[in-house]
Amino acid sequence: MTATTFQGGRRLITMAGAVGAAGLGLTALGGLADPRQALASYLVAFVFWLGIALGALILLGAFHASKARWPVVLRRFLETIPLTLPLFAVLFIPLALGMRHIFSWVDPSGATGELLHAIEYKRPYLNVPFFLVRAAIYFVVWIAVATLLRRWSVRQDTEGGHRLTAWQRRLGTGALPFLALTLSFASFDWMMSLDPRFYSTMFGIYWFAGSFLACFAVLIIAAAATRADPGQFGHHLNADHVHSLGKFLLAFTAFWAYIAFSQFMLIWIANIPEEIPWYVVRTDSPWGRVGIFLAVAHFAIPFFLLLSRDLKRNPRRLAAVAVWLLVAHFVDLHWVIMPRIHEAGPHFSWLDLTAFVGVGGVALAFLVFRMRGVATMPVRDPYLEESLRYQPQ
Amino acid sequence: MSSKPATAAIALDPLEPVPVLVGRPDDRALTESLVKPLYAPMTRGWKMLVTALAAGMGFWLLSLATTLVVGIGAWGNNIPVAWAFDITTFVWWIGIGHAGTLISAILLLFQQKWRTSINRFAEAMTLFAVAMAGVYPIIHLGRPWFFWWLMPYPSTTQLWPNFKSALPWDVFAISTYATVSFLFWFMGLIPDLATLRDTAPTRLKRTIYGIFAFGWRGSARHWQHYRIGYLLMAGLGTPLVVSVHTIVSFDFAISQLPGWHTTIFPPYFVAGAIFSGFAMVLTLMIPARKVLGIEHVITMKHLDNMAKVVLATGLMVSYGYAMEHFMAWYGGNKYEAFAFLNRWNGPYAAIWYVQLVCNVLVPQLFWFPSMRRNLVVLFVASILVNVGMWIERFTIIAVSLTRDFIPSSWAMYTPTWVDWGLLFGSMCTFGMLFLLFLRFLPVVPIAEVKELRRELDHHDAHAAGQPAHGEGTP
Repeated sequence: MTATTFQGGRRLITMAGAVGAAGLGLTALGGLADPRQALASYLVAFVFWLGIALGALILLGAFHASKARWPVVLRRFLETIPLTLPLFAVLFIPLALGMRHIFSWVDPSGATGELLHAIEYKRPYLNVPFFLVRAAIYFVVWIAVATLLRRWSVRQDTEGGHRLTAWQRRLGTGALPFLALTLSFASFDWMMSLDPRFYSTMFGIYWFAGSFLACFAVLIIAAAATRADPGQFGHHLNADHVHSLGKFLLAFTAFWAYIAFSQFMLIWIANIPEEIPWYVVRTDSPWGRVGIFLAVAHFAIPFFLLLSRDLKRNPRRLAAVAVWLLVAHFVDLHWVIMPRIHEAGPHFSWLDLTAFVGVGGVALAFLVFRMRGVATMPVRDPYLEESLRYQPQ
Repeated sequence: MSSKPATAAIALDPLEPVPVLVGRPDDRALTESLVKPLYAPMTRGWKMLVTALAAGMGFWLLSLATTLVVGIGAWGNNIPVAWAFDITTFVWWIGIGHAGTLISAILLLFQQKWRTSINRFAEAMTLFAVAMAGVYPIIHLGRPWFFWWLMPYPSTTQLWPNFKSALPWDVFAISTYATVSFLFWFMGLIPDLATLRDTAPTRLKRTIYGIFAFGWRGSARHWQHYRIGYLLMAGLGTPLVVSVHTIVSFDFAISQLPGWHTTIFPPYFVAGAIFSGFAMVLTLMIPARKVLGIEHVITMKHLDNMAKVVLATGLMVSYGYAMEHFMAWYGGNKYEAFAFLNRWNGPYAAIWYVQLVCNVLVPQLFWFPSMRRNLVVLFVASILVNVGMWIERFTIIAVSLTRDFIPSSWAMYTPTWVDWGLLFGSMCTFGMLFLLFLRFLPVVPIAEVKELRRELDHHDAHAAGQPAHGEGTP
């Protein structure tokens, strides 16, 4: 096995960084003209990419909690994804600065009726200082967990032994309840509170379901992209690893649909005035077509494709489905956030694209940058060999 | 790597101190130890237990008969509390069933080797729990002899069930679940029934086991079909783990009642179901493995893992409580907020605190390995979890109903002896069915444990750096 210290990626960092910076710059320029649109587009991009990093952190914790051995070979990549979280803490600043443009509860001067009532009632929770303090708490928790898990894993590359595995397992497991709570409240703060009237106890799980799925999609795409490079983890995955990742992609495609359907159906059938307006905007307008698109593109098509065993064992075809799912996930978040500023129906802005490319570009550049200087696989993990040999009956 | 003996190699892994199979018994020793309890004469203690449970079952039948003769007026139900003990007990039993399906289907797909030794036991528990659960929605109909009206069939009056009602959904959910659980369980039994046919001491037993073994000969073709069928059943069973309790949660969540209508119910009910199901497996397994002398096959490793599942699902249930409470405030609906305050300081507050202790605090013990490996703690905690889960359903169902929107329509609920009889009697009936299972069928899948032993041999050889027997063949 030739797992070497990774020193490459220079070109990718430069290119992704340049594209990302250009995207962010253009979004900022657009923000001068139309801050509402720019911030909403930026928020979609932000929660899309951040969700993947959080999904990776939760998956890493879950792997440690279940003492999973088969994914050890891809774990180094998985634990590097959440290292982008400090970058997202920086990328949160534009949202904090411009929040009054999209969060109507910041400045309720134009609000009337139920909206005003909701804003006043929720003031103890929805106010700017507490909102920022909460965001700080979320990022501190996420960054601490991500940094420690990866630090111990890297330390094991030189130290070896079982002790660091035990540490990672303890922290990975113990962090899960905190990650669940912070992720949920982050989704309430950053997405649900866009409409201060709306509430759904399921909302945190909804964001988690899509983000977790997107995290598997990213793992699959990265594995397919690095297949030819003997220094990278993708090269060392066998067909069974790919198959297992494909099964997870199938399972969480179904899980997302389950959560999305349950939330929709329960609110639709009860039809109570506090909850239903959120879905009325998203279904009884041209946005409804986007909802139907999601049912087909985020569930039906990938679900039936992924039932195929051959497809799940073929890295390239599986990666194609993964790309498709990332697109669908983006549309999902767009459908959740954008009706806030475009109630009448879908409205495509070039800022959607620049923000998406901007946040994604810098995140990718930062990710590859953080991969440099350490081994591409946990080379002295006691279960690496077993993982490389992975062959379920 | 050094070439130490295979058995030493497992002990070398300090992160896996407890084995999934104690020792490496050969096929013959495994068969003998696992069928022995079926052929041994009944002990006195066993007979006394059967008698006691039969008495409890009698109480259950009496309560059922009273319900049929008198009607549901025999219960403590009233308006507004139209659902109380009956539906609570239904949800409790069907939730308990979920552990078996999770172990047999989802853990199979997750390639968890430890499931092998406990799946038969857990699936049997599922079947009996579903059998118990199925009774309650039927008797709550008021005129249960018309239960078949819930089936969609083209009657001459052209009356169809209302598909917007959760009641027909339950019919489909439960009947599908019962069918798949039974088929899965029975299919897994076939190779072992053949073993019993070949080893039973009397002609009668050999004949009966032989009929149910369906002519199994253990040929390669049989095994090939069996493995494919088993995997397909696991695939079918997996969505059922989620869907059945999701439908049950819809029974409440599709309404507008504060305390019932909340979007998190589907996953939260599923987590609660698995939580109580694993607790029930622990409650039954801790004494059973000792009495049957199979502690080398169902080891501390199994109990330890099940305790972890109880912890994980218990945390999910606690997450559900947290979200419900936060949204009860955040949502700003005063009726919803009142429903939750009423849990903390209403007339039923005492049981709410018991629920919190049982479902939120008790599972936290299982963060500690020493607690997960202490049989007394495990046993007591597993019972407390199921007490807590029963109370949880009572809190959701009955306590929410006692105080809804208009104070003038509020009413307290007090159970009658029939209500208690239907609850405790069902536990005795369940226990009775379980004793019959322990008496007549192998508790541990013999064929699968043999296969597990071979896989462990293979793994040990790898860990010791020696090529295993048969290495290189797919």
